[in-house]
Amino acid sequence: MSSNRELSMSSYVGIGVGLMVIVAIEVVLTYQHLETRTLLFSLLSLACLEAFVAVMYLMHVKYERPILFWTIFPATLFVLILLCYLWPDAFRMASMRLLQ
Amino acid sequence: MNVTQSAMPSVGQHEVLMEASPYGIEKKKLGMWMFIVSDACTFGAFLFAYGYMRVGNPVWGTPFGPASVLNGVVMTAVLLSSSLTMLAAVRAAQTGAKPSTKKWLGVTMLLGTIFAALHLKEWFSLIGEGWRLFYNPTGGAAQFGATFFSVTGLHLTHVVTGVIALAFIARGYNRGRYDQSHVETAGLYWHFVDLVWMFVFPLMYLMNAH
Repeated sequence: MSSNRELSMSSYVGIGVGLMVIVAIEVVLTYQHLETRTLLFSLLSLACLEAFVAVMYLMHVKYERPILFWTIFPATLFVLILLCYLWPDAFRMASMRLLQ
Repeated sequence: MNVTQSAMPSVGQHEVLMEASPYGIEKKKLGMWMFIVSDACTFGAFLFAYGYMRVGNPVWGTPFGPASVLNGVVMTAVLLSSSLTMLAAVRAAQTGAKPSTKKWLGVTMLLGTIFAALHLKEWFSLIGEGWRLFYNPTGGAAQFGATFFSVTGLHLTHVVTGVIALAFIARGYNRGRYDQSHVETAGLYWHFVDLVWMFVFPLMYLMNAH
């Protein structure tokens, strides 16, 4: 049950425009000839920002009881962070190929 | 025990005592959130697998030129617009405006279909250049096709499923079988599909642009 504090439709359009601006920044960054790791970090950070705005406003989590947020998000983030265990092996593979 | 009057449905002449949900949302909406969590982990696993292979292979394909990136930007704009039209449909359903709800659900389905068509256009363009699931025509890592087609294919499946689900919801809502909570729950799914694209576009398209 969402509360009555929800934003107006024009505010949601503003959020949509803001998200498109972030996409435009991502495209500009892509053509700045950044190092792959720097580009990846920048794009992922911007994507996380977009996702946070989408979850809080478009999916209305901001207007639900806080327990919903605290039940769902820490657990999901924990699972996704655990997947980062794979990265050292990926870098090991890349360095092994360079040695050959 | 926190028991509310609304949480005591009657069965025959007896009232069933039920504890109120601590989340304060309907069961179907909580069920959708559970689905979204599991689906987020699925997409997360796919994207991490892609990242693993991308980092582990120094010679990775970068097939996307400015035209493909522009196509991707248009696809993003279409999907974001569909999220806004879905919000308009939910708003209309909450006020009980049936024609307006149907109209906005129709626009959302149309935008979803346009997104799918643009997606398939990109796929056919790549296939025309010789990219396959396990073949890289430029001689680099063969896994590009496997990761690109599987991640974007999974997302495309979600979009198509969403369009079909919205069609059922619109039909049921029009006939009075479904109410505004069904439209809200479908909206939650649709926004999640949009959210996933916010990661797929930069990671699969922009990271592979030349």
